[in-house]
This record gives sequence, C-alpha cells and structure tokens, in this order.
Amino acid sequence: MIILELFINALIAGILLGGFFAALSIGLSICFGLLDTVNIAHPTFIVAAAFCTFILNANFGIDPILAGIIITPLFFGLGWVIYSLYYQFFEKTSAEALRGLAFFFGLLFITEVVLIISFGVDHRLVNAAYIGKSFGGEFAGISVSVPFRLLSAFVVAAILTLGLQMFLDRSFFGRATRAVHQDMMALSLMGVDPVAIKRIAFAIGLGTCGIAGALMIIVIPIEPAVGRLFIGNVFAIVVLGGLGSISGTLIAAMILGIAESMVSTFFGPSWAPAVSFTILLGVLAFRPTGLLGVGDTR
Amino acid sequence: MVELVVKDLVAGYGNVSVLHNVSLDVPNGETVALLGTNGNGKSTLMRCIAGLIKPTEGSITLKDGDRQIDLAACSPKQIVEHGIAMVPEGRRLFPLLTVEDNLTLGAYRAEAREKLAESIDFCFTLFPRLAERKTQQAGSMSGGEQQMLAVARALMSDPKLLLVDEPSVGLAPILVSQMIEKIGELNTSRGLTILMAEQNFNQAIKIADKGYIIVHGEIAFASKDATDLRENDMVKSYYLGV
Repeated sequence: MIILELFINALIAGILLGGFFAALSIGLSICFGLLDTVNIAHPTFIVAAAFCTFILNANFGIDPILAGIIITPLFFGLGWVIYSLYYQFFEKTSAEALRGLAFFFGLLFITEVVLIISFGVDHRLVNAAYIGKSFGGEFAGISVSVPFRLLSAFVVAAILTLGLQMFLDRSFFGRATRAVHQDMMALSLMGVDPVAIKRIAFAIGLGTCGIAGALMIIVIPIEPAVGRLFIGNVFAIVVLGGLGSISGTLIAAMILGIAESMVSTFFGPSWAPAVSFTILLGVLAFRPTGLLGVGDTR
Repeated sequence: MVELVVKDLVAGYGNVSVLHNVSLDVPNGETVALLGTNGNGKSTLMRCIAGLIKPTEGSITLKDGDRQIDLAACSPKQIVEHGIAMVPEGRRLFPLLTVEDNLTLGAYRAEAREKLAESIDFCFTLFPRLAERKTQQAGSMSGGEQQMLAVARALMSDPKLLLVDEPSVGLAPILVSQMIEKIGELNTSRGLTILMAEQNFNQAIKIADKGYIIVHGEIAFASKDATDLRENDMVKSYYLGV
C-alpha cells in the first residue's frame, strides 16, 4: 500500500513537473526547433526573468505570476534585439553554425555574471498566498498531497503552452513560422518577409522566458547559475519531442517530468538528472527524428 | 489590366552575368512562353521579375491600369502585393506542412486573406486531387500532385499575373500535357495573364499566344503571335526536330 501511495504521489508530482518543464522548453522549441537558432542561453534568460520577478515581488509585493506577465514584453524586446544582432552578424553571412553557438554561449555567461554581480550567489524565493501550502486528503485509503506552488505553475504553464501551440497551428503568422526553416525563398514568394517572421518568432520564444522565469521561482529557489541545471533538460525535451513539433515538445516534457519524479521517489533524487539523457538516447536509437519529429522529406 | 514590360535587362549572380539586354513584353490576358534549353537564363529572368534577384541594369515595369510600377525597385513581398505570383522551378513546397497549410500560406497578403475560402474552393475545383489530400503532408505526395499544389498555392494570392517556371520538370509525359492544359485553362477561363518558362517546346507552344526564345542570356527570337512561333524555321529545326 505504501508503494502505491508513493507511486500515485510521484505520478501527480511528475505531471505537475512536466507542465513546468513544458513552460521552460516551449520557447526553445520555437527558437531551436523551428528557427534553427541554438539558443543555449535560453535557461539563463529564464533565470534572469526569475530575478526580475523576485525584484517585483520583494520590493512591490506584486504577485509572481502577474510579475511574469508584466516582464514578458521586456523579454520579447530583448529577443527582438538579440535576433537582429544574430541575423546581422551570423546568419546573414552563413556563419551561424559554430560562431552562432559561441554567440549564445557568450550571452549565457554575460547574463550569469550580471546576475551574480547584482544579486550575489544566495538562493532567492518569492512570496505568494499559494506558496508553501498544499492541498491533500485521503482517497480510498491513499493519502495524496499536491503542493499549490506546483499546481499553480502547472495551470499557468498549460495556458501558456497550449495557447501558443494553438496560435502557431492556426494563425497565418504561425504557419509562416513553421514554414520558414523549410524554404525561405518559397516563403518570400508568398509575400512574406522571412527575416521579419524569424525576428518576431524568436522574440516570442524569448518572451516565454518572462512567464517561465516566474514559474521557476515559484517552483524552486533560484540562484544565478541555476539555469545550467536545466540546459540538459530543455534541450533533451526539444530533441526528444522532435525538432519543429510543438506538440512533441509538450509530450516530451510530460514524459520527462513523470520519469524524473518516479526516479527521484524510488531511486533517490541524485539519479534524477540522468533520466533525461537516458530517455533521449533510448528514443533516438529507435526514432532518430524524436517522438513526433517528421524529419526531412525533401 | 496588367502588362509586364522588361527592357534591356542585365542580371546575374555575383560577378557572373547571365542575362544580357533581355527585353520582353507580356500583354494583358495573354500566355507568353519563354522558351530555351537548360542554362540559358530562363529561371534567372523569372527570379528577377519576382524580385529574388536584383538586376544590375535595365528595367522591369508592371503597367496596372494607369499606374506604372518599377518592379526592379520592389521587394519580393511588394511584388506579391502588386498582384504577381510565381510557381518556382522545382515546386519549392513546404514539405512538412499539410496541403491545406501550404495553400493558406499562399494567401498571406492582406487582400488575399479576405478571399481565402473562395480561393481554396477554386483550387480544389481546378485540382480535385488536392481536395482528397487536404490533410496530407505536401512532401509525401507524388511529383504530379506536388506540381498541382505549387500552381494552386501561387493562385491563392489572387494574382493578376502568374509566372510559371518550368512546370514540366520531373513529370511523366502524360502529366506534363495535363499540367500545361490546366495552365492554359487558367488563361482562357480566368483571364489570367501568364508568363511561362519552359524547355518543352512541343507542349508550351500548344497554349502560348506568343513566345520568346532565349539563348545564352539573349533573346534569340521574339515571335509576333502563336502562328509565327509555330512556323518559325529556327524553332522548327532546333527545338521541334521537324
């Protein structure tokens, strides 16, 4: 009975964690999966957003989720600037592969150092009514407990990711975003400026960091280098789901969330970081294009 | 009323010049064939008109009613907005998107979005095959179906002038004549003005109102009308093998 109880609690925590992972990964799924920009600094920008949330919460008492929404335009603007620079100096001259990666690595370190200088290396938290409480009870002899902080993060993450997926699926802009890496020339023949599409899409991808950062500081205490812990996770999720597939990313985030929660419940938390890459290797061995990736049919 | 006038066009890639003083005229409501074998500059000329390559000299003018539009100064986006659509060589579909998404993208420009449903109906009537494959990925269709989609996608922008670059490439002979007939039909039933680059002379002259032959980046022959094109000695001896 105790095993079943552990299992059910781990499953619930895993699903909630999966939603959080989806929020962390969806921006990268756009930037990396759809636009081919290896934005390795993505998790670090999320940490930067988490610190912005912290400032707004600690100084003005603003609710962390509201703070995340407030700072989203800021990160959208940041994405706009970063892509414009990236396009001008790397993509335009076809030097994106290695030098582009170095560019994003540089951004990662600069952001991290700025955060360390401004905030130090202490762990930070936010306050809100739903943090530190949990909802629980006994169902058929099994006691279940759901932390509100994970639940609220899950709800916000679900709205963000499903909303964004629907937008990319159904809008003209979304179709152009999904088409841009397939054939830029053909897209310009449709009367679309491919560079403008990439710039806006990248800005949207980075804009998700605003909300994701707020969720991060709701879920875990943060410090400037915590983004590094998530680089492996988010890239594994995007590749596992299949490059270019937003729904694949959401499914992969769920799988990883549940798997990590199970492993840390039954084998100990120190094994959790190994989960993502083990699953990734396993899946890629049988499906090289990822779960929902379709590969290139050209 | 649209008319395309290309005058003394010089263009190429980097330092390599491909077109040397090319002039041609596509009058309103006509189907004009741009004929020539591989590597003579047909696609380069088509790309110049679509704005993908900037010419170094000469002019490309679209006469739309009373307006004279200098296309050489326009971006590909503006050219689409002026009512010109191109079916590119090699189809250039979005292989991972569905047939429906490919078509919808064709109607990206503001004016075309308003007519989206109507345009899709038109395309599905023209090519019923595409209606059957609506939700299929474009890249998984046969070559003939892909060419239909490429033509349909260009029509989605509701153009006044359609540029078609080598619609016969990679198709079985029976499909080539079907495709050419459909393009001819667009001209006769919809009144679309068409400039078609083609190396299949036999097929192209079936629907052409007049034609130009391009050799090594120069216009070697410009026909007055369809009969002139069919009866010309140069066309007969070199390209039709009569």
